[in-house]
Amino acid sequence: MKNYKNLFPIFKNNPDLHYLDSTATSLKPQVVLDKMMDYYINYSANIHRGLYPISERATEEYEKVREKTAKFIGAKKSGEIIFTSGATDSINLVANGWGENNLKEGDEIVVSIAEHHSNFVPWQELAKKRKLVFQISDLSFSEKITKNTKLLAINHVSNVLGTINDIKSIIKKARTINPDICVVVDGAQAVAHISVNVTDLDCDFYCFSGHKMYGPTGVGVLYGKVDRLVQMNPVRFGGGMIKTVDLHNSTWADTPEKFEAGTPPIGEVIGLGVAIDFINEIGMENIMVHEKELIEYLFGKLKGIKWINILGLQNLVKLSERIGVVSMYSNDKRVGTSHDMADILGRKFNVAVRAGHHCAMPLHTKFGIKTGTVRASLGIYNDKNDIDELIKGLKHFYKIFNS
Amino acid sequence: MDDIYKEIILEHYQNPNHRGKIEAERNVGNANKRSSNVSLRSKVYVAGEVNMTCGDSLKIFAKIINDKIVDAKFEGGGCAISMAAVDMLLDKVIGMKLSDVKKMSGAEIEKMMGVELTPSRKKCAYLGLEVLKKL
Repeated sequence: MKNYKNLFPIFKNNPDLHYLDSTATSLKPQVVLDKMMDYYINYSANIHRGLYPISERATEEYEKVREKTAKFIGAKKSGEIIFTSGATDSINLVANGWGENNLKEGDEIVVSIAEHHSNFVPWQELAKKRKLVFQISDLSFSEKITKNTKLLAINHVSNVLGTINDIKSIIKKARTINPDICVVVDGAQAVAHISVNVTDLDCDFYCFSGHKMYGPTGVGVLYGKVDRLVQMNPVRFGGGMIKTVDLHNSTWADTPEKFEAGTPPIGEVIGLGVAIDFINEIGMENIMVHEKELIEYLFGKLKGIKWINILGLQNLVKLSERIGVVSMYSNDKRVGTSHDMADILGRKFNVAVRAGHHCAMPLHTKFGIKTGTVRASLGIYNDKNDIDELIKGLKHFYKIFNS
Repeated sequence: MDDIYKEIILEHYQNPNHRGKIEAERNVGNANKRSSNVSLRSKVYVAGEVNMTCGDSLKIFAKIINDKIVDAKFEGGGCAISMAAVDMLLDKVIGMKLSDVKKMSGAEIEKMMGVELTPSRKKCAYLGLEVLKKL
C-alpha cells in the first residue's frame, strides 16, 4: 500500500497520530499550505478592481480556481461556481436565495432522514417560514416525491453511514414525477472520495466544503445550474455584488459575483485550488483503490468483534457502494457509551474518532440510538496500522468495562 | 486500568446506588422547572437536562425537607463518566442542605471522583451538579 502520510506535515509534528476523523475535516497537505503562504507573503492584495500587479495576480489566481472547480465537478462553465464559506453556507444560500424566492405556501419539499443537519434544518426552517409541506423521505429517498414536490434535498454520501447514494437514478426518477423539481445535493462527503460530475448527475445545486477535501477551512462551493442561479436572489449585500448603487436603489452584478458579497476568503480559495490539484495528481481512481482496500480491512476487523454493531449495516450495501465511514456502537449494556469509547481511543491510543450524533440526529433516532455512535472515517493518509490501533483501542475499551 | 475509568467509577456506572425515581407526595414538579409553592413540608423536586449532541439525558428527583435533601434518585442515560458522577454525587448530597449543594463547584466533583478530566469530559462529569443546581 502506498503511504501518503509524508505529504501531510501534521504527521511530522504528531508521528503517532491515527487520524480517523476525515469526515469531520480532512488534514491538509503541505502543498496547500505552501500555496496559501505564497499568497499571504507575496501577493496578498484584494481581488477585482485593483489596478496594480499583485491585485491582478490575486484576481487571476482566484478566478483560476473557479475554472478548476468547475472542471473538477463537471460543471459546464465556471459561472456556475459560487464560492461560499462552506457546504452549510452553500445550502443556506440555496434555501434563502432560491427557496425564499421560488417556493410558496403549500408547496411540498422532501428531505431525506439521512441528511446532515446542514441539509435538514435550513429546509425545516424555510418550511415553517413559508408554510411549506415538509416531508421526510426514508433511505430510499424518492418515495415521498409527488408532482407537487418542488424541492428534494439529499446527500451524495452519508456522513454517518458512508453510503454512496445513486443520486443519478434518484434524480432521474424524481424528474419523471415532476420534471421541474429542484434537487439540492449535499456533496460534502463525496468530493474527496469519488468522482463527481454534476452535469451527468443532473442536479440543480451541488454543495461542498474545501476543508473536507484536503483544502483549508472557511471556503466552500455552491454549484448551481445557470437557470436556477437566475431564479436565485442574493441574500448578502455589500461590496463586490453590486452593479450600481444610488440613494434609493441598487442593482446587482452578474452571477457569480452577485452571490459573493464582501471580500471572499481569497487565500482559502487559492488553497482549495491546490487541494483540487492534489486530488487530481494522486488521481481519484488511486484514491478509491487505496480507500477501498482500507474499508475492506476495517470491516473485516470489525466483523470479528462481537459486541460492536455497525449502524445501518443491514440496510446496506456492498463495500463498493460506500466510502470509508463507519458508525458503530456497543451492543453490550455494561460497557460505556460512544463518548467513553472515543475518549479512551483518543487519550490512550491517539486514535482520533468522533462520538455522538454526527450532526444527524434524525437518522440516529430512526435507528433507536440515543447515546450516539463512534464514527471512524478514512482519508488518503490512512494505513492499516491506523486501523489496527483502532481495533486495539476498542478491545482495550471493552476490557475496562468487563474486567 | 485506565486513570479515569477507575474501579470505583465503573462500579457506580454499572451498579448505581440511586437509580430510580421518587414519586411526588404532593406537588409534582416538572422536569426543567422547579415546582412552585415552596413550603417547609417534605416535597419532591424534579429537574432535568439533556445534552443531545452527546446523548446524555438526566433527570434527578430530590425529596427535600426544610432545605435538606433527604432522598434523591436519578433516571437517564449517558456515558460512564456522567452517570457515575451523578450517582457518586447523590451519595454525597443526601443529607446536605440544597443551598450548600448549589454552592458546589466543578472542581469538587473531580475531587469527589478522584480523577482529573479533560475539558470535554468535565462537561460529562458536571452534568449531575448542573441538574441539582436547577432544583
